[in-house]
Amino acid sequence: MINEIIATLIEIFSSNSMQIPLIQPLVDYLMEIPLLNILVALILWRPFFAVVIMPGLIVLMLYLLYIVWFERKLTARIQWRVGPLEVARPIRGAIQALADGLRYFFQEAIVHRDAHRPYFVQLPILAFIPILLPIAFIPAGNAVGIKTPYAIQLIVAFLALIPITIIAIGWASNNRFAFVGSVREALMYVAYEIPFIIAVISMIYLYGSGDPYVAVEKQSLLPGAILNPIAFLVFLITMLMATSRLPFEIPEADQEIAFGPFVEYSGMLFGLVMVLAYEKLYIMALLFVILFLGGWNGIYCDLLGDLNAPLWLFIKTIVVISILAIVRSMYARYRIDQTLRYSFSWLIAFSIVALVVGVVAGWIV
Amino acid sequence: MEIKIDVPVEPPKELETLFLPIPKDYVEDVYKKDDFLILVGPQHPGSGHMRLIVRVKGDIIQEVIPDPGYVHRSMEKLAENRLYIQNIPLVERPAIMDSANFNLGYVRAIETALDIEVPERAKFIRTILAELCRIGTHLYDAAILAVFLGHTTGFMYPFGIRELICEALARMTGARFTSSFIIPGGVRRDVDERTLRWVYDATFAIERRLKSFERIFIKNPTVIARLREVGVLSKDEAILYGVVGPFLRASGVEYDTRIVEPYEAYEEVTWDIVTADEGDGYARFLVRVNEVSQSLGIIRQCITSMPEGRYVSEQICDDVKGNFFDAYGNLVLPAGEYTTLTEAARGTLLFTIVSDGESNVPYRVRIVTPGWLYLRGFMESLKGERLADLQAIYGSFGYFPPEADR
Amino acid sequence: MKVEKISRSPIAELKRHVDVIQEAFKQALIPDRITIEYPRERRKYPDNLRGFIVLDKSKCISCFRCAQICPANAIQMGFYDNFYPSVDYTKCIFCHFCVESCPTGALSGSNLHDMAFKSLEDMKVKTTQMMRLPTIIREDKQTVEYFVTKREWRLVRRKELEDLSVLRIIPKIKPKRAFCEEPESCLGCRQCMEVCPHDAIVMERCEVTLEGEVVGKGCILKVTEKCVGCGLCVRQCPMKILTLKEVE
Repeated sequence: MINEIIATLIEIFSSNSMQIPLIQPLVDYLMEIPLLNILVALILWRPFFAVVIMPGLIVLMLYLLYIVWFERKLTARIQWRVGPLEVARPIRGAIQALADGLRYFFQEAIVHRDAHRPYFVQLPILAFIPILLPIAFIPAGNAVGIKTPYAIQLIVAFLALIPITIIAIGWASNNRFAFVGSVREALMYVAYEIPFIIAVISMIYLYGSGDPYVAVEKQSLLPGAILNPIAFLVFLITMLMATSRLPFEIPEADQEIAFGPFVEYSGMLFGLVMVLAYEKLYIMALLFVILFLGGWNGIYCDLLGDLNAPLWLFIKTIVVISILAIVRSMYARYRIDQTLRYSFSWLIAFSIVALVVGVVAGWIV
Repeated sequence: MEIKIDVPVEPPKELETLFLPIPKDYVEDVYKKDDFLILVGPQHPGSGHMRLIVRVKGDIIQEVIPDPGYVHRSMEKLAENRLYIQNIPLVERPAIMDSANFNLGYVRAIETALDIEVPERAKFIRTILAELCRIGTHLYDAAILAVFLGHTTGFMYPFGIRELICEALARMTGARFTSSFIIPGGVRRDVDERTLRWVYDATFAIERRLKSFERIFIKNPTVIARLREVGVLSKDEAILYGVVGPFLRASGVEYDTRIVEPYEAYEEVTWDIVTADEGDGYARFLVRVNEVSQSLGIIRQCITSMPEGRYVSEQICDDVKGNFFDAYGNLVLPAGEYTTLTEAARGTLLFTIVSDGESNVPYRVRIVTPGWLYLRGFMESLKGERLADLQAIYGSFGYFPPEADR
Repeated sequence: MKVEKISRSPIAELKRHVDVIQEAFKQALIPDRITIEYPRERRKYPDNLRGFIVLDKSKCISCFRCAQICPANAIQMGFYDNFYPSVDYTKCIFCHFCVESCPTGALSGSNLHDMAFKSLEDMKVKTTQMMRLPTIIREDKQTVEYFVTKREWRLVRRKELEDLSVLRIIPKIKPKRAFCEEPESCLGCRQCMEVCPHDAIVMERCEVTLEGEVVGKGCILKVTEKCVGCGLCVRQCPMKILTLKEVE
């Protein structure tokens, strides 16, 4: 009975497995061993690989470890200083984020008396649902979680749910600074959502469908950045606005309203809310690479086989995010009314121009 | 169009339990008129050490009530129990980056009382110290403005440049900033030629590093957008509310104590007074930036034309080392009241010493710092601005609570 | 002079954006760092930095001047065979008024400024501990110095260690002795004789003369060779007729 179940499972996993010629001998050897073979078949099953390993949860953890360290080091380099160095001195402090996370585990998470206790404690965890669900839809070559032709629209819809959780976090804290921060988050949401959606729609018109496979295939000659440069610029600026990065760090202004909606969090809850913005940046950067930079197109290496596409996607995402990290040290913070004014006058104008360019170019190509 | 809905509101419970220095019916009046009270208190990343009670309607500030006194150290009372010479390390510590100007004001009051003539070389050395401290304070204020706007690079650059100024002060006097170097009659030690050469070269190095700072912060489009036309004080308003220093000059008034009542070596060097017309936050910032260049010019002129001579007046002693106690331990000022005005980095500084003619401790020392003088103008310029501009205007005024509270 | 006018035209704004990006990228590639990694490297401070105070006991004459001038009341005089100063570092502000008041140069400063104490009681440094420099534990491997020219300011690192035990050169100060200016005004109250810690004032019988004629007998107080010039009698005399004068 059990043997039949295991045999059917192995058949399901092996029929849709990643082909990597480099480690194929090892895989063949391991498939002989009775219990290990189901584990190996599960790991190499394409949906599992895409959702859990790459571009999925494990790579997300590695990326978080890297981006916290890299941003601090790069900002320090521009500011005539050195940055975190002491944690693991031979590798120049690379596991600083791990030390920070460990410290948050040992700190007491205080829930103050006036807070709405269920929402206060549960919302940071619930906020991860709209952030992590798009990972199931983003493809990387042949590895994809759920294959649908509407993947790009679904990702945009999930990203639109995230600010609601942040506003609810600020409301649950019952603090006047958190209230001001929530109101600012709501206003910023209105400011960036419309140009963002119009820019994505213009690219969908350009490629003809919302399927990431079609989008990447059409970029085999020229990347999307050259086909529609105005949408490229609009997407870049709204990416900065959406993830509260300088110069638009308005909901979490540290000096004006003492860290905005997240002011009352401490301990592990604070660790959770701090990584919300970074993970949203990861998802938006993946979308950016698929739409504008050619997705997983790159030099094809025979040895790696199916691993080529996720690797190229990951490298391009890391390069994009590393270049975005430098913007933090260059600019000061805009005011909320200036942001709303520029967004509703200039950004919407640019995004409508991008829409027109997208329609025309889609009709030509 | 405003729609009035009659909803009965009560002030939140926490405002009843907190100690607030405003009357209770004010709090109720605020909440009945549908405004909001925000306490930007002493423990806040953007308020220095001062409590501000801000009344906002939506996003527009209606009124700000300050509550200074959190860092009051009662310096004027402490000065009544110490000898005249022992007060020098005490009165130079309200604003520690600006210590030479405070030191200079106090010592000049003693010299007016005792009629001491200061030699030329000592005057030039004192001028160099005062200008170095002025540059240090302007750089510190620029860094605080940057951190209030969220620009962390603009915070690190001025503090790095200030390190060179502290090194210059350490080479000349022996301590990094609160040096207690100026004593009645001159200075404590002579400064040799090698140190002066080093300070001369350091001024050029400071200018080169300031160019990097200018490109990345002063001419940054976000900074200009944040500070332009924010917190405007017109010329009449500035004179009416008693604003002093570079903030008065940024509203168009040409007033500088170093020109109106010159002291030390300011008449023998050529320099310009810097003014601006608009009176907004960016003009106040630019006035201080240009004053740094003027101060660097004054230091260079003082070094190239430094006369030879004694460094302490012969009415006191020949050489300070070994004779410090015998010369200054028993100073007794004649009876009366002696006042001096000095131009500290942030404005006009007033020192008054009242002596009863017999004791070797002062009867009363009165210090009026520039921060205390322009607090009213600062509060008036906040009316009608947005809540996010509170920090920008605070930074552009360079308000320093320990200096205002003494 | 007036500050310059800033134009808000879009071309000028674009040029400023480009300047900012250029400066940031230039600093990211070739940084102008000025960080000193203490304690692996130590910074060479100027020679006249005000630091730890060192006492030379053989030169101290117990004149109490350092204790009386200290603005922070940080010097207490302890009794061994005579009174000697001890510094309380919880209060000392390193102004070195005491070093400048010392008439014989017994107190002098050194370059050490980063001392560490194990408890609050240890911070009250006694006289015996003040007579030499504290124990130096070296963790540094190189020395850093600021190098300033007209064009630039950067750090210069050298592999040799700095010699921290060099004390300052003490200038020569002439010794002084007490001297009575107007012996005719002396009351004979003997306060100077009682306060002198070295028993240097003695009483002598003498004759009182008025216009060359001896009219009576009296006593005056004379300063002998034992005087070290501490000045306690000068401050004590009610008629204020004693001063300190330099002796060859």
